[in-house]
Amino acid sequence: MKSTAELTDFYYKELYPSLEELEKTRITIVSQLKWYGGMGIVIFSITALWMGKNFGLLHPLMIAIVIGFIAIASITYRSMTGGYAKDFKARVITPLIGAIDPHLLYNPDFMISQHLFERSNLFQHSIDRYSGNDYVKGSIDGVPLEFSDVHAEYQTRDSKGRTEWHTLFRGLFLVAEFNKNFKSKTVILPDQAEKNFGSLIGGWLQSINFSRDELIRMDDPEFEKHFVVYGSDQIEARYILSHSMMERLLEFQKKISHPLFISFVHNHIHVGIATGKDLFEPAIFTSLLDYKRVMEYVNTLRNTIGIIEELKLNEKLWSKE
Amino acid sequence: MTTLLIIIGVITLIAILMYNSLIGKKNQVDNIFAGVDAVLKKRFDLIPNLVASVSQYMEHEKSTLEKVTELRAQAMKPGISDDAKIALDAKLSAALGSITVAMEAYPDLKANENVMHLMRTLGEIEEQISAARRAYNQSVTDLNNAIEMFPTNLIAGWMNLSRRAVFEITVTERQNVNVQELFNR
Repeated sequence: MKSTAELTDFYYKELYPSLEELEKTRITIVSQLKWYGGMGIVIFSITALWMGKNFGLLHPLMIAIVIGFIAIASITYRSMTGGYAKDFKARVITPLIGAIDPHLLYNPDFMISQHLFERSNLFQHSIDRYSGNDYVKGSIDGVPLEFSDVHAEYQTRDSKGRTEWHTLFRGLFLVAEFNKNFKSKTVILPDQAEKNFGSLIGGWLQSINFSRDELIRMDDPEFEKHFVVYGSDQIEARYILSHSMMERLLEFQKKISHPLFISFVHNHIHVGIATGKDLFEPAIFTSLLDYKRVMEYVNTLRNTIGIIEELKLNEKLWSKE
Repeated sequence: MTTLLIIIGVITLIAILMYNSLIGKKNQVDNIFAGVDAVLKKRFDLIPNLVASVSQYMEHEKSTLEKVTELRAQAMKPGISDDAKIALDAKLSAALGSITVAMEAYPDLKANENVMHLMRTLGEIEEQISAARRAYNQSVTDLNNAIEMFPTNLIAGWMNLSRRAVFEITVTERQNVNVQELFNR
């Protein structure tokens, strides 16, 4: 697998012709957007003034006009940038993934199946709306893996019957084959209780969590500080989470600054990185050649696919050969 | 009168909860020890095979191999106590470790696929044993804490619960951790 520096080189050198063209499109879109935006503001101000004179600014019709303007603005924005985003994925992200490993397949419109997401046991709430994009599938060093952006939501109804959507998970979700055989379920979650209440009360709160399996206390204090482990088998959980595995997970957590959700179910490792946003979407108002942006694309891909090496999932045990 | 009854009721309830948690912890220890036992047995089953295929090569380690066989026989005896088993396991791990190290000196042995397969199996079982040991030590620590800490110690004394032994990390295992020191010398 290529290093971050090599990938950055690849981005600036190999992709330069495509980037230049895309950059031109982007600048045109930005100027168009500015023009439309200016027009919109002028039209809106005139309407508002006219409304204010005839009906008063707080008239119900005014609210409808505001909503209408927002709707038109977002539709215009989407239709103008949609093609650009598609082009960006086809001409930049696709070759970039190919450069990391030619065996990886990329589909910008597809996502990891809801079945796999639910199988992970990481999020127990039922899912009412499931979406995602930027699906990558393949194998690294003989380890099958797949990942994509995922947005899982659930719905609640308040006393007045209004529905409200809540995000259960938004970010990157990865599933890969694990190098040890196991039958039990082990779930690793970010440790909220111990951080907020200290180890004594927090630990007690964790142990009375009825919706989860048994609490498994690990013998690595640093790991215990960051994560809480639940599992159906005390021994197997420790077989999976050897001392070196705990260290590697801690290292990985330090590298990415988002909450990390990991589970081991059905001989697979499931990793959820709650970034809270959609990855690999081009930003309209910053340049494609902007170093910080580029590093974000490259690092996200490199770190995600690098999980295989990082956690040494490619070191096969004899029984898995 | 009613206050007295309420106080007695609350005290009884707390006593029952403590009693049940102690029983739960004791059963957890026994339960996990059964798991430890199962993986230890897996290793015992492997030893005769290993000794048989290695002994023809390893002339100088005859005594170590005999010791391994003997330790296995002792540990397989019926009716052996948990603590004795734990002590035997530590010795056996150390002896097996020294065999693995000694194997480095025999290129023929390392070329033998059968032996290498056995060693890899042993390595994986070793990892399972390590996991089982850690699980056992954690559950024993929970139980020992409950037995010694106030107020559960009062009920534990009345229940005749006693401290259990944990698996010591053997000398060789401790050395494994300090590989870095070798370079710093």
